[in-house]
Amino acid sequence: MAELGIVVDLAATSSGAELSELAQAAERAGLDLVVVAGARDEAGGDEPADELVGVDPWTVATWVAAATTRIAIGVPSSTVQGPDPSDPRIPIAAVVDKARESLALLAGDRLVHDGWVVAPAGADADQVRSLAERGSLVVVVPVGSAAEVERVAALLPERPRSTRRAAVRARRRPGIAYEEIPPSLVESAIEPGDPGYRAVRSTYIRGGSPGLVLRPRSAAEVADALAFARRHRHLPLGIRSAGHGFSGRSTNDGGLVIDVGALSTIEVLDEDARLVRVGPGATWKQVAAALEPHGWALGSGDYGGVGVGGLATAGGIGLLGRAHGLTIDHLRAVSIVLADGTQIRASSHEHPDLFWAVRGAGANFGVVTEFEFEVDEVAEVGWAQLTFVTTDLEAALLTYGEAQRQAPRDTTVFLVTGAPQQGQSVIQLYGMVDSSDPDTIIARLNPFVAIGQLAQQQVVLTSYRAVMGTAADVGLDGHHGSGEPVGRSGFLPAMTPAFAREAAAALRGGRLRWFQLRAMGGAIADVPPEETAFSYRSPELQVTALGAFHAEIDEAWEPMEAHMDGLYLSFDTSPDPDRVERAFPPAVLTRLRELKRRYDPDGLFRDNFPLLEGARA
Amino acid sequence: MTDYGHDLLFGSFITPSAAGAQQALRLSELADAEGLDLVTFQDHPYQPSFLDTWTLMTWIAARTSRVRIVPNVINLPLRPPAVLARAAASLDQLSGGRFELGLGSGAFWDAIESMGGRRLTAGQAVTALSEGIDVIRALWDTETRGGARVRGDYYSVEGAKRGPAPAHPVGIWIGAYKPKMLALTGAKGDGWLPSLDYLPEGVDTLPALNARIDAGAQEAGRPASAVRRLLNIMRAEFSATGTGFLAGPPSMWAEQLAEVTLNHGISGFILGGDDATKTQRFAAEVAPAAREIVAAARA
Ligand SMILES: Cc1cc2nc3c(=O)[nH]c(=O)nc-3n(C[C@H](O)[C@H](O)[C@H](O)COP(=O)(O)OP(=O)(O)OC[C@H]3O[C@@H](n4cnc5c(N)ncnc54)[C@H](O)[C@@H]3O)c2cc1C
Repeated sequence: MAELGIVVDLAATSSGAELSELAQAAERAGLDLVVVAGARDEAGGDEPADELVGVDPWTVATWVAAATTRIAIGVPSSTVQGPDPSDPRIPIAAVVDKARESLALLAGDRLVHDGWVVAPAGADADQVRSLAERGSLVVVVPVGSAAEVERVAALLPERPRSTRRAAVRARRRPGIAYEEIPPSLVESAIEPGDPGYRAVRSTYIRGGSPGLVLRPRSAAEVADALAFARRHRHLPLGIRSAGHGFSGRSTNDGGLVIDVGALSTIEVLDEDARLVRVGPGATWKQVAAALEPHGWALGSGDYGGVGVGGLATAGGIGLLGRAHGLTIDHLRAVSIVLADGTQIRASSHEHPDLFWAVRGAGANFGVVTEFEFEVDEVAEVGWAQLTFVTTDLEAALLTYGEAQRQAPRDTTVFLVTGAPQQGQSVIQLYGMVDSSDPDTIIARLNPFVAIGQLAQQQVVLTSYRAVMGTAADVGLDGHHGSGEPVGRSGFLPAMTPAFAREAAAALRGGRLRWFQLRAMGGAIADVPPEETAFSYRSPELQVTALGAFHAEIDEAWEPMEAHMDGLYLSFDTSPDPDRVERAFPPAVLTRLRELKRRYDPDGLFRDNFPLLEGARA
Repeated sequence: MTDYGHDLLFGSFITPSAAGAQQALRLSELADAEGLDLVTFQDHPYQPSFLDTWTLMTWIAARTSRVRIVPNVINLPLRPPAVLARAAASLDQLSGGRFELGLGSGAFWDAIESMGGRRLTAGQAVTALSEGIDVIRALWDTETRGGARVRGDYYSVEGAKRGPAPAHPVGIWIGAYKPKMLALTGAKGDGWLPSLDYLPEGVDTLPALNARIDAGAQEAGRPASAVRRLLNIMRAEFSATGTGFLAGPPSMWAEQLAEVTLNHGISGFILGGDDATKTQRFAAEVAPAAREIVAAARA
């Protein structure tokens, strides 16, 4: 059944207020489309054949978009660029494109450029029906008043309501029961043709085009979303909190995404016990900002834009790691929705096995909707960013490893470098000293300065909040990652000459685009390995490398991997399904798989190191 | 002492940033509610972090009811004048006569060229701006019979259909600093729209530049008062104790701005900074006080 709309006669409707009223009347009446058509120059003359004269349709379309929220807006596509940019009558193509993008950002993607037929003014139901029966997607009728809009809306009483417009439906992906989205989620769900799709399709790092994004706002709605997902086991399923997943494929192509970004409240449960409850959709920047007024901080990662949901289910190796441990070491309880929709609470005394699994392999077990953390008292901290140049990369890596090993646990310093250029490496160190005493901070940093020639330095006394706060806020238009990241991760028991040699060789070979060492040890190593599913507690360093192609990075990575033991899953995007055997030691993997068969026997959760063979989506 | 006698206008210079689109809308609504006269938007189509200025202005016009909307200033090389004329007239009609056309000749030629615009020298750009104004005025002029005809080196129309006409006589306010552009502003502009930061000696530069505009006007047989003078002010702070130019309390701002009006004929002050509180105080505390001082002095 066709859809129905109106054409606004621009010659008769020149006041903006009138125009807004007509468009709003059409929207209220449940019509699907408002067409604003400029008059074409009938007098001939020397105007380009396609030139629109009279009122500018783009300006009118934008006006209508600003006055409405849902209805589609039809504008004839603008003229193609002429051969000569000096022709004052032809818009510049790139500017037209930019205008279109801007409007999509402001109003949602509501513009359509064709696909309608115009019925004669005053057309009756039979005329409209006969046009519809001839296969027209949308029939539009010229109108000049709100009363006429009402009349048009009544013409096809049997046409479908409340479902999405034909233009939206045309962009749906196969295999998804769009008409059966649970009622609690229909309003907030976003499909490819919807306004706002652009803002949710991709993540920070990864480009995607999912067929449907469900956006639950409560644990009950998460359960509804999972019920829908269970009926779409044939499609990829991504779980998303704040969209900074790396190993976690929180977007995909043609599948489903359950986005719990709306669950982002942060509240103090017990001031004395420093107990806070945080939703998965909060970012670490927001968490740090909420805790600082209490004199508290919770170690997270090194970037404030990252979300709580992904990080606090995996580990959280961050700048307060040596001083205060992993993020998951502060977890006291979670509320989680399991694959079958059951909502349960897990802690050391409620479903302790699940609580163990969530802390390191959480993405395999459910959607966490609440995290309860016991946070630390953290005053001002030293925050250092140092840049070095050196021609002896190997020696620099060794010096760093040694300095970090000798450092007291208040000091956590990370190292980043890339491929050397003309034999010269640029090395960035950045790190935190959990001390408010400038002399202590300087003393702690001194040993690191020997790694090369210091080219730039910034050391400040600041708050954990300020360090997390440098992350950019994500605007309304969401993330715009593209492509697929290529990363490998591993735990290094200790920096050794042999490892430094392999790493330097790999970097010189140019196959690693980016190389990072994160300091562990300290409070991280205080926790017994069997305490959490994250069980590599003794390594001194965690190594990450990024490359361009899987085959290429594997070649460079393998010689280094011989020196490593296990990997931190969050930074590894290997497509190899056996990679999970490096993410967890054998006994841990065996126990995790037993639990997986209990809590998620069909392997619904499989976007981030799936534990069950063959379950990678 | 030069005062061209125009009513004072107060406005806001709002960044059209894509990430802050909602903020731009909020600031505009605030300006509308607080009684500012103008909301103005820079136009750099090649700046990826900005929204399309035309789209944003139209959006904001539809969501406000009394404030006037002005590009500050539109990039002519990327907005061909006949397209611009029709869009401007349309926006003026839709908004009930709330549009003025701030117009500029373009500056960042690499960026302009990379977007499909034409690279011009500074001298050529003045001529192109002059021809562009002719095209715009010819299209707006629906009284004259027959097609619009402008023959220029950079822009020509040969019998183009005229219209639509704007709802009110839309002012063309030109962003100008160099002698030829100032002369053109005097000859063809309805307003002059420079930024204080670009004036080498701040307000002390105004007399020399005003004089060039006045001379341009005279040569074209127009009174100097045909060209309203406005000023963008990007750096200004309220403080209880400051004493510098636009660095003290609102009452001091009002005195300082009134002085600029009475001595240099500036009758439009447009404040940047994207700051809601500052905008609000500018509208509620500075504008009425400055108007009062100027009215008293003129009486
Ligand atoms: C710039 C940057 C810096 C980083 N720095 C660090 C760092 O210093 N230390 C560190 O440890 N990690 C770091 N990471 C890795 C980061 O912790 C993970 O990528 C994490 O998964 C991101 O969480 P998110 O919620 O933003 O991601 P999302 O993309 O929303 O989710 C990623 C994955 O986590 C799982 N997941 C998400 N939400 C939930 C939930 N509510 N319940 C269960 N599972 C869920 C899913 O498998 C999902 O695919 C960094 C990542 C980036 C991009």
